Amino acid sequence: MALPRRNSGSRFTLAILLLSSVTLISLDARGYEPVTNLRKAAMAIVQPFRNMANTIFDPIGDAWESLSQGDSLEKENALLRTQLGELLEYRTTTEGAVEELAALRTQLDLENLGGQETVVAEVTAQSVSNFDPYIIEIGKGTQSGIREGMAVISVGGLIGRIENPGLRSAQVRLITDPNVNIGVLVVGTNQIGILAGNGVGQPLRVSDGIPVSAEVEIGNILVTSGSERSPYPGGFAVGTVLEVIVDEINLEKELVIAPTGQFEGLEFITVILYEPANSRNERDQ
Amino acid sequence: MLMIKLLKGLFVIALVLIFQLELFARIRFFGVMPELMLGVAIASGWNGGPSAGAITGFVSGLAIDLYLATPLGLSALTYALVGYLIGIVAEIVAEDVERIVRLVISITAVALGIIVYVIFGELIAEPNLYNKNFGKILVVAALYTGIFMPILHYALAWVFHQNTHTGHQRPLNRSQFT
Repeated sequence: MALPRRNSGSRFTLAILLLSSVTLISLDARGYEPVTNLRKAAMAIVQPFRNMANTIFDPIGDAWESLSQGDSLEKENALLRTQLGELLEYRTTTEGAVEELAALRTQLDLENLGGQETVVAEVTAQSVSNFDPYIIEIGKGTQSGIREGMAVISVGGLIGRIENPGLRSAQVRLITDPNVNIGVLVVGTNQIGILAGNGVGQPLRVSDGIPVSAEVEIGNILVTSGSERSPYPGGFAVGTVLEVIVDEINLEKELVIAPTGQFEGLEFITVILYEPANSRNERDQ
Repeated sequence: MLMIKLLKGLFVIALVLIFQLELFARIRFFGVMPELMLGVAIASGWNGGPSAGAITGFVSGLAIDLYLATPLGLSALTYALVGYLIGIVAEIVAEDVERIVRLVISITAVALGIIVYVIFGELIAEPNLYNKNFGKILVVAALYTGIFMPILHYALAWVFHQNTHTGHQRPLNRSQFT
Protein backbone atom coordinates (compact mmCIF):
# COMPACT_ATOMS: atom_id res chain seq x y z
CA MET A 1 0.00 0.00 0.00
CA ALA A 2 1.82 3.06 -1.24
CA LEU A 3 1.35 6.31 0.55
CA PRO A 4 -0.07 8.88 -1.82
CA ARG A 5 1.75 12.18 -2.15
CA ARG A 6 -0.18 15.15 -0.94
CA ASN A 7 0.28 18.43 -2.69
CA SER A 8 1.00 21.52 -0.67
CA GLY A 9 -2.39 22.93 -1.72
CA SER A 10 -4.31 20.96 0.91
CA ARG A 11 -1.86 22.02 3.62
CA PHE A 12 -2.19 25.63 2.52
CA THR A 13 -6.01 25.31 2.62
CA LEU A 14 -5.84 23.87 6.12
CA ALA A 15 -3.49 26.61 7.28
CA ILE A 16 -5.83 29.32 5.94
CA LEU A 17 -8.84 27.69 7.60
CA LEU A 18 -7.10 27.30 10.95
CA LEU A 19 -5.93 30.88 10.82
CA SER A 20 -9.48 32.04 9.98
CA SER A 21 -10.88 30.02 12.89
CA VAL A 22 -8.42 31.46 15.39
CA THR A 23 -9.12 34.96 14.11
CA LEU A 24 -12.86 34.39 14.49
CA ILE A 25 -12.43 33.03 18.01
CA SER A 26 -10.34 36.02 18.95
CA LEU A 27 -12.76 38.55 17.45
CA ASP A 28 -15.82 36.88 18.94
CA ALA A 29 -14.25 36.63 22.38
CA ARG A 30 -13.60 40.38 22.26
CA GLY A 31 -17.23 41.02 21.31
CA TYR A 32 -16.34 42.48 17.89
CA GLU A 33 -19.67 43.79 16.67
CA PRO A 34 -19.54 42.83 12.96
CA VAL A 35 -18.95 39.20 13.97
CA THR A 36 -21.86 39.33 16.39
CA ASN A 37 -24.08 40.85 13.69
CA LEU A 38 -22.95 38.21 11.21
CA ARG A 39 -23.91 35.50 13.68
CA LYS A 40 -27.33 37.08 14.23
CA ALA A 41 -27.93 37.44 10.48
CA ALA A 42 -26.99 33.80 9.82
CA MET A 43 -29.27 32.62 12.61
CA ALA A 44 -32.13 34.76 11.24
CA ILE A 45 -31.73 33.12 7.81
CA VAL A 46 -31.87 29.61 9.27
CA GLN A 47 -34.69 30.35 11.72
CA PRO A 48 -37.68 29.83 9.35
CA PHE A 49 -36.33 26.40 8.40
CA ARG A 50 -35.85 25.56 12.06
CA ASN A 51 -39.43 26.58 12.79
CA MET A 52 -40.68 24.29 10.05
CA ALA A 53 -38.52 21.42 11.27
CA ASN A 54 -39.66 22.07 14.83
CA THR A 55 -43.28 21.58 13.79
CA ILE A 56 -42.38 18.26 12.17
CA PHE A 57 -40.00 16.92 14.83
CA ASP A 58 -41.80 18.15 17.92
CA PRO A 59 -44.11 15.10 18.21
CA ILE A 60 -41.11 12.79 17.74
CA GLY A 61 -39.18 14.60 20.46
CA ASP A 62 -42.19 14.52 22.79
CA ALA A 63 -42.69 10.80 22.17
CA TRP A 64 -39.02 10.09 22.85
CA GLU A 65 -39.01 12.15 26.03
CA SER A 66 -42.15 10.45 27.34
CA LEU A 67 -40.62 7.04 26.58
CA SER A 68 -37.18 7.71 27.93
CA GLN A 69 -38.31 9.64 30.99
CA GLY A 70 -41.22 7.37 31.93
CA ASP A 71 -39.49 5.92 34.98
CA SER A 72 -38.10 9.21 36.13
CA LEU A 73 -41.52 10.84 35.76
CA GLU A 74 -43.06 8.19 38.01
CA LYS A 75 -40.32 8.74 40.59
CA GLU A 76 -40.72 12.50 40.25
CA ASN A 77 -44.47 12.13 40.72
CA ALA A 78 -43.99 10.13 43.92
CA LEU A 79 -41.43 12.64 45.17
CA LEU A 80 -43.76 15.55 44.40
CA ARG A 81 -46.58 13.88 46.33
CA THR A 82 -44.33 13.53 49.35
CA GLN A 83 -43.14 17.11 49.02
CA LEU A 84 -46.73 18.34 48.70
CA GLY A 85 -47.59 16.66 51.99
CA GLU A 86 -44.59 18.26 53.67
CA LEU A 87 -45.39 21.65 52.19
CA LEU A 88 -48.97 21.55 53.46
CA GLU A 89 -47.59 20.98 56.94
CA TYR A 90 -45.04 23.72 56.42
CA ARG A 91 -47.60 26.21 55.15
CA THR A 92 -48.14 28.03 58.42
CA THR A 93 -44.44 28.75 58.76
CA THR A 94 -44.01 29.97 55.20
CA GLU A 95 -46.94 32.35 55.51
CA GLY A 96 -44.73 34.19 57.96
CA ALA A 97 -41.91 34.26 55.42
CA VAL A 98 -44.18 35.69 52.74
CA GLU A 99 -45.17 38.48 55.10
CA GLU A 100 -41.49 39.07 55.79
CA LEU A 101 -40.81 39.27 52.05
CA ALA A 102 -43.63 41.78 51.58
CA ALA A 103 -42.27 43.87 54.43
CA LEU A 104 -38.80 43.73 52.96
CA ARG A 105 -40.04 44.82 49.56
CA THR A 106 -41.63 47.86 51.18
CA GLN A 107 -38.49 48.53 53.15
CA LEU A 108 -36.31 48.42 50.04
CA ASP A 109 -38.78 50.40 47.96
CA LEU A 110 -39.34 47.47 45.64
CA GLU A 111 -43.09 47.81 45.62
CA ASN A 112 -43.19 48.73 41.94
CA LEU A 113 -41.65 45.42 40.85
CA GLY A 114 -45.02 44.00 40.11
CA GLY A 115 -45.39 46.68 37.46
CA GLN A 116 -42.15 45.72 35.75
CA GLU A 117 -42.71 45.21 32.05
CA THR A 118 -42.38 41.59 30.99
CA VAL A 119 -42.44 39.45 27.85
CA VAL A 120 -43.59 35.85 27.82
CA ALA A 121 -41.64 33.71 25.36
CA GLU A 122 -41.85 30.12 24.25
CA VAL A 123 -38.89 27.85 24.87
CA THR A 124 -37.98 26.73 21.35
CA ALA A 125 -34.97 24.53 22.04
CA GLN A 126 -32.96 23.02 24.83
CA SER A 127 -29.19 23.11 24.83
CA VAL A 128 -27.70 22.06 21.48
CA SER A 129 -24.33 21.18 22.95
CA ASN A 130 -23.08 18.19 24.90
CA PHE A 131 -20.73 20.45 26.83
CA ASP A 132 -22.95 23.36 27.75
CA PRO A 133 -26.26 22.14 29.19
CA TYR A 134 -26.97 25.53 30.74
CA ILE A 135 -28.42 27.18 27.64
CA ILE A 136 -31.99 27.17 26.36
CA GLU A 137 -33.38 29.05 23.38
CA ILE A 138 -36.51 31.17 23.34
CA GLY A 139 -38.60 32.37 20.43
CA LYS A 140 -38.41 36.12 21.07
CA GLY A 141 -35.59 38.60 20.70
CA THR A 142 -34.70 42.24 20.34
CA GLN A 143 -37.83 42.85 18.29
CA SER A 144 -39.80 42.23 21.50
CA GLY A 145 -37.56 44.51 23.57
CA ILE A 146 -35.32 41.75 24.91
CA ARG A 147 -31.72 42.80 25.58
CA GLU A 148 -28.52 41.14 26.70
CA GLY A 149 -28.42 40.33 30.41
CA MET A 150 -32.14 40.68 31.16
CA ALA A 151 -33.47 38.43 33.91
CA VAL A 152 -35.58 35.40 33.04
CA ILE A 153 -38.08 33.84 35.42
CA SER A 154 -40.28 30.77 35.34
CA VAL A 155 -42.90 29.53 37.75
CA GLY A 156 -41.38 30.06 41.18
CA GLY A 157 -38.54 32.42 40.50
CA LEU A 158 -35.40 33.46 38.67
CA ILE A 159 -33.92 30.87 36.31
CA GLY A 160 -31.42 32.74 34.16
CA ARG A 161 -30.41 35.68 32.06
CA ILE A 162 -30.54 36.58 28.37
CA GLU A 163 -27.51 35.99 26.16
CA ASN A 164 -26.94 36.68 22.46
CA PRO A 165 -30.38 38.09 21.69
CA GLY A 166 -31.23 37.93 18.01
CA LEU A 167 -34.10 39.64 16.24
CA ARG A 168 -36.66 36.92 16.94
CA SER A 169 -34.79 34.53 19.22
CA ALA A 170 -32.46 34.61 22.17
CA GLN A 171 -30.51 32.30 24.41
CA VAL A 172 -31.03 32.01 28.15
CA ARG A 173 -28.08 31.15 30.39
CA LEU A 174 -29.47 29.20 33.34
CA ILE A 175 -28.40 30.01 36.90
CA THR A 176 -27.37 26.37 37.40
CA ASP A 177 -24.24 27.23 35.36
CA PRO A 178 -21.25 27.25 37.75
CA ASN A 179 -19.99 30.40 36.02
CA VAL A 180 -23.08 32.41 36.88
CA ASN A 181 -22.92 34.57 40.01
CA ILE A 182 -25.90 36.42 41.44
CA GLY A 183 -26.09 38.84 44.33
CA VAL A 184 -28.80 37.55 46.68
CA LEU A 185 -30.44 38.80 49.82
CA VAL A 186 -31.60 36.46 52.58
CA VAL A 187 -35.16 37.48 53.40
CA GLY A 188 -35.61 38.39 57.03
CA THR A 189 -31.97 39.38 57.43
CA ASN A 190 -29.88 42.08 55.79
CA GLN A 191 -27.33 39.55 54.59
CA ILE A 192 -26.22 39.76 50.99
CA GLY A 193 -24.22 36.92 49.48
CA ILE A 194 -23.02 35.69 46.11
CA LEU A 195 -24.95 32.74 44.77
CA ALA A 196 -23.40 30.45 42.15
CA GLY A 197 -24.70 27.55 40.11
CA ASN A 198 -23.48 24.06 40.79
CA GLY A 199 -24.44 22.05 37.71
CA VAL A 200 -27.60 20.54 36.28
CA GLY A 201 -29.88 19.04 38.91
CA GLN A 202 -27.60 20.19 41.72
CA PRO A 203 -28.51 22.69 44.45
CA LEU A 204 -27.14 26.21 44.14
CA ARG A 205 -24.57 27.53 46.59
CA VAL A 206 -23.81 30.76 48.41
CA SER A 207 -20.14 30.61 49.33
CA ASP A 208 -19.30 34.28 49.81
CA GLY A 209 -20.69 37.09 51.82
CA ILE A 210 -22.57 35.45 54.70
CA PRO A 211 -20.67 35.88 58.00
CA VAL A 212 -20.77 33.20 60.68
CA SER A 213 -22.69 35.52 62.96
CA ALA A 214 -25.55 35.94 60.45
CA GLU A 215 -28.84 34.42 61.56
CA VAL A 216 -29.53 32.39 58.47
CA GLU A 217 -31.65 29.31 58.95
CA ILE A 218 -32.87 26.40 56.88
CA GLY A 219 -36.00 27.44 55.02
CA ASN A 220 -35.01 31.11 54.62
CA ILE A 221 -35.93 32.53 51.21
CA LEU A 222 -33.31 34.15 48.98
CA VAL A 223 -34.21 36.92 46.56
CA THR A 224 -32.16 38.91 44.07
CA SER A 225 -30.43 41.73 45.91
CA GLY A 226 -31.04 44.36 43.24
CA SER A 227 -27.84 46.14 44.19
CA GLU A 228 -26.57 48.90 41.96
CA ARG A 229 -24.14 46.74 39.99
CA SER A 230 -26.48 43.75 39.70
CA PRO A 231 -27.96 43.07 36.26
CA TYR A 232 -31.06 41.64 37.93
CA PRO A 233 -33.89 43.66 39.44
CA GLY A 234 -34.22 43.11 43.17
CA GLY A 235 -36.81 41.07 45.00
CA PHE A 236 -37.20 38.04 42.70
CA ALA A 237 -37.18 34.70 44.49
CA VAL A 238 -34.12 32.58 43.69
CA GLY A 239 -34.21 29.74 46.20
CA THR A 240 -34.66 28.51 49.74
CA VAL A 241 -31.93 27.49 52.15
CA LEU A 242 -31.56 23.69 52.34
CA GLU A 243 -28.45 23.49 54.46
CA VAL A 244 -26.15 25.84 56.33
CA ILE A 245 -22.47 24.84 56.49
CA VAL A 246 -20.17 26.81 58.78
CA ASP A 247 -16.73 27.55 57.32
CA GLU A 248 -14.59 27.92 60.44
CA ILE A 249 -11.51 29.01 58.48
CA ASN A 250 -13.04 31.93 56.60
CA LEU A 251 -15.60 32.63 59.32
CA GLU A 252 -18.39 32.48 56.81
CA LYS A 253 -21.49 30.43 56.31
CA GLU A 254 -21.89 28.44 53.14
CA LEU A 255 -25.51 27.97 52.10
CA VAL A 256 -26.89 25.14 50.02
CA ILE A 257 -29.87 26.44 48.11
CA ALA A 258 -32.81 24.71 46.46
CA PRO A 259 -33.82 26.84 43.47
CA THR A 260 -37.45 27.95 43.49
CA GLY A 261 -37.64 28.39 39.73
CA GLN A 262 -38.72 25.53 37.50
CA PHE A 263 -35.97 24.21 35.21
CA GLU A 264 -37.40 20.94 33.95
CA GLY A 265 -40.00 20.69 31.20
CA LEU A 266 -39.99 24.40 30.50
CA GLU A 267 -42.38 25.47 27.78
CA PHE A 268 -42.76 29.18 28.47
CA ILE A 269 -40.64 31.63 30.42
CA THR A 270 -40.97 35.30 31.31
CA VAL A 271 -38.32 37.89 30.50
CA ILE A 272 -38.21 40.93 32.78
CA LEU A 273 -37.64 43.93 30.55
CA TYR A 274 -35.34 45.53 33.06
CA GLU A 275 -31.96 46.99 32.33
CA PRO A 276 -29.83 48.47 35.07
CA ALA A 277 -29.01 52.14 34.55
CA ASN A 278 -25.35 51.48 33.68
CA SER A 279 -26.33 49.03 30.90
CA ARG A 280 -28.79 51.53 29.44
CA ASN A 281 -26.14 54.25 29.48
CA GLU A 282 -23.60 51.99 27.78
CA ARG A 283 -26.10 51.11 25.07
CA ASP A 284 -27.13 54.72 24.52
CA GLN A 285 -23.51 55.75 24.11
CA MET B 1 -18.99 21.08 -11.47
CA LEU B 2 -17.46 22.81 -8.49
CA MET B 3 -20.60 24.90 -8.09
CA ILE B 4 -22.77 21.79 -8.03
CA LYS B 5 -20.54 20.23 -5.37
CA LEU B 6 -20.69 23.44 -3.37
CA LEU B 7 -24.50 23.58 -3.52
CA LYS B 8 -24.82 19.91 -2.65
CA GLY B 9 -22.41 20.33 0.23
CA LEU B 10 -24.26 23.35 1.60
CA PHE B 11 -27.56 21.49 1.27
CA VAL B 12 -26.25 18.50 3.25
CA ILE B 13 -24.72 20.75 5.93
CA ALA B 14 -27.97 22.73 6.31
CA LEU B 15 -30.06 19.57 6.46
CA VAL B 16 -27.85 17.91 9.06
CA LEU B 17 -27.74 21.15 11.07
CA ILE B 18 -31.54 21.28 11.20
CA PHE B 19 -31.68 17.63 12.29
CA GLN B 20 -29.04 18.25 14.94
CA LEU B 21 -30.75 21.34 16.35
CA GLU B 22 -34.38 20.32 16.16
CA LEU B 23 -34.44 16.56 16.49
CA PHE B 24 -31.29 15.15 18.04
CA ALA B 25 -30.93 17.90 20.62
CA ARG B 26 -33.99 16.24 22.19
CA ILE B 27 -33.34 12.60 21.36
CA ARG B 28 -30.51 11.97 23.79
CA PHE B 29 -29.02 8.81 25.24
CA PHE B 30 -27.89 9.26 28.84
CA GLY B 31 -28.26 12.99 28.28
CA VAL B 32 -25.87 12.96 25.31
CA MET B 33 -26.70 13.79 21.71
CA PRO B 34 -24.81 12.79 18.57
CA GLU B 35 -22.18 15.10 17.07
CA LEU B 36 -23.61 15.01 13.56
CA MET B 37 -21.80 18.10 12.29
CA LEU B 38 -18.49 16.53 13.28
CA GLY B 39 -19.72 13.43 11.44
CA VAL B 40 -20.21 15.57 8.32
CA ALA B 41 -16.59 16.76 8.52
CA ILE B 42 -15.36 13.18 8.91
CA ALA B 43 -17.46 11.77 6.08
CA SER B 44 -16.42 14.66 3.90
CA GLY B 45 -12.71 14.10 4.56
CA TRP B 46 -13.17 10.41 3.81
CA ASN B 47 -15.05 10.94 0.58
CA GLY B 48 -13.51 14.17 -0.69
CA GLY B 49 -9.93 14.12 0.55
CA PRO B 50 -7.99 16.40 2.92
CA SER B 51 -8.86 19.74 1.33
CA ALA B 52 -12.57 19.00 1.00
CA GLY B 53 -12.57 17.57 4.52
CA ALA B 54 -10.98 20.69 5.93
CA ILE B 55 -13.29 23.08 4.06
CA THR B 56 -16.48 21.15 4.81
CA GLY B 57 -15.37 20.71 8.42
CA PHE B 58 -14.78 24.43 8.72
CA VAL B 59 -18.21 25.29 7.32
CA SER B 60 -20.09 22.65 9.33
CA GLY B 61 -18.24 23.71 12.48
CA LEU B 62 -19.04 27.33 11.83
CA ALA B 63 -22.70 26.44 11.30
CA ILE B 64 -23.02 24.72 14.68
CA ASP B 65 -20.90 27.44 16.33
CA LEU B 66 -23.69 29.91 15.61
CA TYR B 67 -25.83 28.13 18.19
CA LEU B 68 -23.25 27.44 20.86
CA ALA B 69 -22.24 29.70 23.69
CA THR B 70 -18.58 28.97 23.00
CA PRO B 71 -16.76 31.52 20.81
CA LEU B 72 -17.53 31.45 17.10
CA GLY B 73 -14.82 29.43 15.35
CA LEU B 74 -13.99 26.86 18.02
CA SER B 75 -15.92 24.01 16.38
CA ALA B 76 -14.80 25.26 12.94
CA LEU B 77 -11.17 24.98 14.02
CA THR B 78 -11.63 21.47 15.39
CA TYR B 79 -13.77 20.08 12.59
CA ALA B 80 -11.47 21.49 9.87
CA LEU B 81 -8.53 19.76 11.49
CA VAL B 82 -10.37 16.46 11.94
CA GLY B 83 -11.75 16.59 8.37
CA TYR B 84 -8.24 17.15 7.05
CA LEU B 85 -6.73 14.31 9.11
CA ILE B 86 -9.45 11.88 8.05
CA GLY B 87 -8.81 12.92 4.45
CA ILE B 88 -5.19 11.85 4.88
CA VAL B 89 -6.17 8.60 6.59
CA ALA B 90 -8.63 7.86 3.78
CA GLU B 91 -5.93 8.40 1.18
CA ILE B 92 -3.83 5.81 2.93
CA VAL B 93 -6.42 3.16 3.70
CA ALA B 94 -9.49 3.78 1.56
CA GLU B 95 -8.23 1.78 -1.38
CA ASP B 96 -9.20 -1.57 0.06
CA VAL B 97 -11.08 -0.79 3.21
CA GLU B 98 -14.29 -2.50 4.23
CA ARG B 99 -17.32 -0.72 5.60
CA ILE B 100 -16.79 -1.94 9.12
CA VAL B 101 -13.24 -0.56 9.15
CA ARG B 102 -14.50 2.73 7.79
CA LEU B 103 -17.09 2.82 10.57
CA VAL B 104 -14.51 2.09 13.27
CA ILE B 105 -12.22 4.80 11.90
CA SER B 106 -15.16 7.23 11.80
CA ILE B 107 -16.16 6.51 15.41
CA THR B 108 -12.55 6.91 16.51
CA ALA B 109 -12.41 10.19 14.60
CA VAL B 110 -15.56 11.44 16.39
CA ALA B 111 -13.92 10.64 19.73
CA LEU B 112 -10.74 12.36 18.59
CA GLY B 113 -12.76 15.38 17.46
CA ILE B 114 -14.44 15.65 20.86
CA ILE B 115 -11.10 15.43 22.66
CA VAL B 116 -9.51 18.04 20.37
CA TYR B 117 -12.55 20.31 20.80
CA VAL B 118 -12.27 20.19 24.58
CA ILE B 119 -8.49 20.69 24.51
CA PHE B 120 -8.76 23.71 22.19
CA GLY B 121 -11.64 25.03 24.27
CA GLU B 122 -9.69 24.69 27.49
CA LEU B 123 -6.56 26.22 25.96
CA ILE B 124 -7.87 29.16 24.02
CA ALA B 125 -11.49 29.86 24.58
CA GLU B 126 -13.77 28.24 27.11
CA PRO B 127 -12.14 26.98 30.29
CA ASN B 128 -15.07 24.89 31.53
CA LEU B 129 -15.60 22.37 28.74
CA TYR B 130 -13.84 19.59 30.61
CA ASN B 131 -16.15 18.40 33.35
CA LYS B 132 -17.01 15.28 35.28
CA ASN B 133 -19.28 14.08 32.45
CA PHE B 134 -16.52 14.16 29.86
CA GLY B 135 -15.95 10.38 29.80
CA LYS B 136 -19.64 9.66 29.38
CA ILE B 137 -20.01 12.31 26.65
CA LEU B 138 -16.97 10.95 24.81
CA VAL B 139 -18.14 7.35 24.71
CA VAL B 140 -21.87 7.89 24.17
CA ALA B 141 -21.46 10.70 21.61
CA ALA B 142 -18.92 8.69 19.59
CA LEU B 143 -21.09 5.56 19.49
CA TYR B 144 -24.31 7.51 18.95
CA THR B 145 -22.76 9.44 16.06
CA GLY B 146 -21.42 6.15 14.73
CA ILE B 147 -25.00 4.99 14.15
CA PHE B 148 -25.45 7.79 11.64
CA MET B 149 -22.03 7.60 10.00
CA PRO B 150 -23.13 5.24 7.18
CA ILE B 151 -25.88 7.72 6.22
CA LEU B 152 -23.46 10.64 6.41
CA HIS B 153 -20.91 8.76 4.29
CA TYR B 154 -23.62 8.08 1.75
CA ALA B 155 -24.68 11.75 1.70
CA LEU B 156 -21.13 13.05 1.36
CA ALA B 157 -20.32 10.46 -1.30
CA TRP B 158 -23.26 11.93 -3.19
CA VAL B 159 -21.78 15.42 -2.72
CA PHE B 160 -18.39 14.39 -4.02
CA HIS B 161 -19.73 12.10 -6.73
CA GLN B 162 -18.36 9.00 -5.13
CA ASN B 163 -19.75 5.57 -4.39
CA THR B 164 -20.81 4.93 -0.81
CA HIS B 165 -17.72 2.95 0.03
CA THR B 166 -14.24 2.10 -1.14
CA GLY B 167 -12.50 2.99 -4.26
CA HIS B 168 -12.52 6.75 -4.48
CA GLN B 169 -8.76 6.52 -4.49
CA ARG B 170 -8.75 3.44 -6.67
CA PRO B 171 -6.75 4.11 -9.82
CA LEU B 172 -8.18 3.03 -13.12
CA ASN B 173 -6.12 0.42 -14.86
CA ARG B 174 -5.53 0.30 -18.55
CA SER B 175 -8.04 -2.49 -19.16
CA GLN B 176 -10.82 -0.23 -17.99
CA PHE B 177 -10.09 2.21 -20.79
CA THR B 178 -10.45 -0.38 -23.48
